[in-house]
Amino acid sequence: MTCELVAQALVSGLLAGFVFALIAAGLSLIFGVMEIVNFAHGEFLMLSMYLSYFLNASLGWDPLVALPLNAVALFLLGVLVYYALIRRVLRAPMLAQIFATFGLSVFLQNLAQFLFRPDFRMVATTMATGRIALGGVFISRPQLVAAIGAVLTTGLLYWLLTRTETGKALLATAEDRQAASLMGIDPDRMFALSWGLGAACVGVAGALLSTFYYVFPQVGGIFALIAFVAVALGGFGSVTGAFLGGIIIGAVESLAGVFVAPAVKNIFVFAIYLVVMLVRPRGLLGKQ
Amino acid sequence: MSFRLALAIAVSAALGARAASPQEVVIGAVYPLSGGLAKVGNDIKSAIELAVDIVNDDIDLPLPLAKGKGLPHLGGAKLRVVFADHQGAPEKGLSEAERLVSQEKVAALMGSYNSNVTATASQAAERLQIPFLNADSTSPLLTTRGFRWFFRTTPTDDEFSENFFKFLDEMKKKGKAAKSVGLMYENTLFGTDVSKFEKKYAQQHGYEVVADVAYDSKATNLNSEIQRLKAAKPDVLLQASYTNDAILSTRTMKELDFRPQAILAMDAGHVASEFVPAVGKDADGIISREVWALELGEKKPVVKKVNDLFRKKTQATRGQAIDMDGTSARAFVGLLVLADAIDRAGSIEPEKIRAALEATDIAGDALIMPWRGVKFDPKTHQNTLGQGILVQIQEGKYRVVYPFDLAAAQIRWPLPAWGK
Amino acid sequence: MKIALAILAAAALGFPFVFRGPYPQHLAILVMLYALLGSAWNLLGGFAGQVSLGQAIFFGAGAYTSTLLAQHAGLSPWVGMIAGALVAGALALAIGYPCFRLSGHYFAIATIAIGEIAGIAVTNWDFGGGAVGLFLPVGTEGLLSFQFHRSKLGYYYVLAAMLLATLLLSAWLRRGRAGYYWRAIREDQPAARSVGVPALRFKQIAIVLSAALTACAGTFYAQYVLFIDPGSVLPLSLSIQICLVAVLGGVGTVIGPLLGALVLVPLSEATRVLLGGSGRSLDLVVYGLLIMLISVFEPAGIAGIARRLGLTAR
Repeated sequence: MTCELVAQALVSGLLAGFVFALIAAGLSLIFGVMEIVNFAHGEFLMLSMYLSYFLNASLGWDPLVALPLNAVALFLLGVLVYYALIRRVLRAPMLAQIFATFGLSVFLQNLAQFLFRPDFRMVATTMATGRIALGGVFISRPQLVAAIGAVLTTGLLYWLLTRTETGKALLATAEDRQAASLMGIDPDRMFALSWGLGAACVGVAGALLSTFYYVFPQVGGIFALIAFVAVALGGFGSVTGAFLGGIIIGAVESLAGVFVAPAVKNIFVFAIYLVVMLVRPRGLLGKQ
Repeated sequence: MSFRLALAIAVSAALGARAASPQEVVIGAVYPLSGGLAKVGNDIKSAIELAVDIVNDDIDLPLPLAKGKGLPHLGGAKLRVVFADHQGAPEKGLSEAERLVSQEKVAALMGSYNSNVTATASQAAERLQIPFLNADSTSPLLTTRGFRWFFRTTPTDDEFSENFFKFLDEMKKKGKAAKSVGLMYENTLFGTDVSKFEKKYAQQHGYEVVADVAYDSKATNLNSEIQRLKAAKPDVLLQASYTNDAILSTRTMKELDFRPQAILAMDAGHVASEFVPAVGKDADGIISREVWALELGEKKPVVKKVNDLFRKKTQATRGQAIDMDGTSARAFVGLLVLADAIDRAGSIEPEKIRAALEATDIAGDALIMPWRGVKFDPKTHQNTLGQGILVQIQEGKYRVVYPFDLAAAQIRWPLPAWGK
Repeated sequence: MKIALAILAAAALGFPFVFRGPYPQHLAILVMLYALLGSAWNLLGGFAGQVSLGQAIFFGAGAYTSTLLAQHAGLSPWVGMIAGALVAGALALAIGYPCFRLSGHYFAIATIAIGEIAGIAVTNWDFGGGAVGLFLPVGTEGLLSFQFHRSKLGYYYVLAAMLLATLLLSAWLRRGRAGYYWRAIREDQPAARSVGVPALRFKQIAIVLSAALTACAGTFYAQYVLFIDPGSVLPLSLSIQICLVAVLGGVGTVIGPLLGALVLVPLSEATRVLLGGSGRSLDLVVYGLLIMLISVFEPAGIAGIARRLGLTAR
């Protein structure tokens, strides 16, 4: 029984962790390239979930089928936010940058409540339903699909960054802005691209989440906080680090919930992060 | 110059109109209109607005003040409600209550759904000596503070918790014996309070508590919570959850194959209007304590009539027809109780309204509730005639199953296994 | 600067005689409370450049310490306030020691994490009332018992005195050696260290002072509202609000947090009063928009605007 319990806790935790990981990867990419923390990351997620919901409710599209549309829509949103807001605070002090994205988060969250009302909404039909039983361990099918989708998307992002010219240019900008621009890379375009890609990641995550999680205007905040910790844990700017951070958080949360007490499971998440901070101030895979 | 003159005329006309009209009675209502509980707050707002329409217009319903326009003992004065948003923050509840009294000159206050905000908002009313009517906060603590100006119409979590165990005892007599219970509750005031009473009554009635799971209602998943329950194997699960976690826990129970004989839920999320739409047929079989059910309309036709008006009202103001639920029904009744007292007071003087509230005696027939009526305890100002019911979700509908003499449907016990 | 302060002090003294209703006085108390909190944050975040997004921990420490001491030991809230400041100072040392190894965003996120831990821990802490919170018994009225029922004037003047003391302290610190060291640390910590500035010690001093003042405000809040729970004294939103007040007013200036509070608190109240009753959170839409506009167009805050207009000297 206990063995089954551990296995179940691990499986559930990892499934949740992969989705955290994808959200965190997008956040980390933006930070890595331009050293700005996007406090509105959760609201991007929320908007993507609403997109899935409305496509499903009005046109009957399955969120999984419409997923590329979410990615494209959020990519455009990210680029728009960069040009309309972020570019104007690039040289401002860190606090102005924090509050620019924090203001955006308050704005988007409440705009969503204004437009979409505070109701909890749930995608009605999706092909991913039900569960798979492996011995005594149950795997929720939508969560499994989401986890696989998250891994594939992060893999794609990693490939894009390391194997394509544009990706290499992006990483070069992250490494050294000046040097990159001397080599003919336009940092402005790279910044816009990082916002686009970072937002597209949450776009995909939003579509995946909407198959098993309800959407409401405040839904982003919960996930964003976890993503911040995942990014800080894995190392700001490291996409692989953030991915690792997300998975660790998923597992720790689940195990602590089962074996210690559910009400304090997040204490363990934050505590693990603090311990890592003490040993490696820039996170597990961050540049030390 | 001419502009200024026109402005002056307009202002004096407005002031004059205000003075000339017989009287307008203003009531302040402090509710969570934005933030996580905005949905509930807006349902309450619609219900209060409907109640105001019923008082102000001549409507043929067997409810207090429905017939005739306005408040008869105040020369037909109209009611007006000023709403304020406390965003779920106790400190904002306090300041909004003060603002409504000092700036809007309200004659009485209503609020505030969240028990902790009700605590501070009613404290402001107590300091400023303005009657405060609470229709929807069930924390027992609130009426033990010895306040002079605080009145509560709804029964409390103490009574509701005991009701669960009375029900289990009666089920035992019917041969459906449950021996152990598991508790699952969100870890703020509401859930924690409920769990304390459930533990107390479990012991008194001889049931073993095999699991005690508190959780954070903002959690992104409830996997570990459900796993703990599954490992403890309680016969009956007692749950106290808000809307999002009620939805999430139900789905997670299915995914992790946890199925007790029965789930007894403490109202709130399990009776919110989006619960059944969100979880569909997985909601079937869940039993919740309720203060109200649409089905009461079968025995009390007025319930159905009011609900039809509510659907019309929400369709008109919010673009979507919504059915009443326990929370909106209580707010609706709360306003009528307050209006009734103001009318009997024949004055908007706070002390007279307070005295009239103390003398309140409304019969059960004049309410849309399953209560025996409204009559406040002279000391605590808790309504002594309130009572709860249990409803079971059957084919997506809330059916009244307990007390057995009020039941409209047969109770189904135990819950069928998942997938059957 | 001195003239501006004198005018503000005179306005503060006279305000309750012009506006007699409880609501305007409540508004003024909120303004002063946030000005106090913002000034305390400013010592650490503005002067020393260590951005804390976990000030609620210290606010909560003050509120809980004085309340628990009053309930269980019958101690006067004034004693409780000192005890709360000490507890918060000790917490600050414990937090600062490991976290000051981090810089910039890393420090800010670490303070968020610690703040969240504190919130969850207190929610599950039975002796501290848990999620239910603590009610302060309504006691006799008076300065000694720190409770005023019939009028808010008592609260008003106590807080005004606390705020004045904080502003004077912060002006004095800014001019002195500490202010000089803090600026050096903020601008370039390695360089400051290389010329012999004891960076860690002075960052510790900043966080301890900031925490102690924040805790005093926490005790004031508990006495004012007479009810505390984790949701009202320990949320992340409070920490952000505190920081926002200082940022809006002008980071690193003495008068900035006060200016910020003077604008932000009435603004947030006004938008809520005018737009909040609709139940569609239009107030917060406007609020979010304003925060964005300010960070884009005036990152130096209101103090920056004032300076540009030549109203205050640098």
